[in-house]
Amino acid sequence: MKPKHIQISGLVLTAVYGLFVLWIYWAAPKTVSDVSVKARETIEQAANEAAAATGTYEVDQEKFTQGLNAFRAENYVLAREMFSQADPKAIDPKTQYYIAYSFYRQGWGRFSNDDELFKQGLEQVNKVIALDREFRADDENLKLKHPVELRNELEEGLRITADDFNPLKLTRERQ
Amino acid sequence: MSDIAKNTESDEDQPAIEGELVPERAPDDLEGFLEGEDLPEPSELRDAARDLKALPSADAAGNQRSWLVYVLLPAVFLTSALLGGLRIASETGEFIFHRPALICLVFATLMLVLFFRTGLISLGGWFSESLSTLQNAANAAVMTALFAATVQMFNSLIPEQGLAFWIVSFCFLWTLGVSYFSVADATRLARSTVALFVAAFLTKYFLLANLTSDASGNWLQRLWSDPTREAVTYLLDLPRYSSATGYIQFFAAALFLLGLFLVPSRTDADRG
Repeated sequence: MKPKHIQISGLVLTAVYGLFVLWIYWAAPKTVSDVSVKARETIEQAANEAAAATGTYEVDQEKFTQGLNAFRAENYVLAREMFSQADPKAIDPKTQYYIAYSFYRQGWGRFSNDDELFKQGLEQVNKVIALDREFRADDENLKLKHPVELRNELEEGLRITADDFNPLKLTRERQ
Repeated sequence: MSDIAKNTESDEDQPAIEGELVPERAPDDLEGFLEGEDLPEPSELRDAARDLKALPSADAAGNQRSWLVYVLLPAVFLTSALLGGLRIASETGEFIFHRPALICLVFATLMLVLFFRTGLISLGGWFSESLSTLQNAANAAVMTALFAATVQMFNSLIPEQGLAFWIVSFCFLWTLGVSYFSVADATRLARSTVALFVAAFLTKYFLLANLTSDASGNWLQRLWSDPTREAVTYLLDLPRYSSATGYIQFFAAALFLLGLFLVPSRTDADRG
């Protein structure tokens, strides 16, 4: 083999091995078997990044349907998990809106709301607004079609005002 | 043996062309040569060619050196870099990949400067405009691997946190600073580097490791069973690692020193 070919082989080997070392320290697997799990996760993540960059990214429809079914069955924790798996890059406004809505519905209470869930919902709906300001939900079951409406509802829920003590508020309905 | 060769009494009397001795022909010999008296038989030529093939050629030696420098050395250094930050958790046995502190990069840079300054590695012999771009790039890759391994060696030998981290770091800084101003030749630097690493290894993986209390039980139980160790562990903020960590780090340090021993001073002799 010519020295030139050996130098090229050495360069390639050093680059590949060096990247592997960097990846190991970045992924930090805990066991030997964890290495393959982390590698699969990294490949999936890289594939999603590449798909997003090239405009070929698609939401996993099967997972989305499962999430939607869980959402309609009021199993919001499972719904969020399914929606997150359907949209791992978190760039699809529709899926992200369902996640925000699930925080609202789970946190809503006739007497008092769950502030923690409402805060997470508020963060989530702000993400949806950042992704698509013109987004409008096409689901008839969602009474709040626009992210700004949902944001207003969440903000109202977090704010303590004299109006909160109005007994007539007990008759209000969840959106 | 031909008459021409017999007439050659001393090689020193002969003119040298490109490092080879060329015998001067006497006019009488030349006449005989032209008449074809001393021409070897074809079978003799074949035997001579076979003997030449059997000899280790300069090409083969150059190839071996290229394999060593461009394939083996990066592999050795990167393996050392991979293992240098690896720790094994005491309780769970899980891997912990400890990333190097910023000070490790500073020490590694100082160490490389020392390598260049003392001539252990000749900068001009590794990077030169007389070398091809490919060779310069390949050399840069080897040097990057050496730098990564050096960083990870300091990461391996300096305690991770607490008072011990600062004390050992200061000792390293002091030693490297003194070496910078006092060590002038490569052999002394190599010896001093080995001694420095051995001392740091013994401090961390023998002295401090033996002062660290076991991870078993809660702190009250540990304090009850071995109050001194527990107190030292708490005061020096020593992390609890499995004893396998010491073995791995010994292997990593040995690999690094082996790689350092194999690094040639210059590579401009074997141009690709």
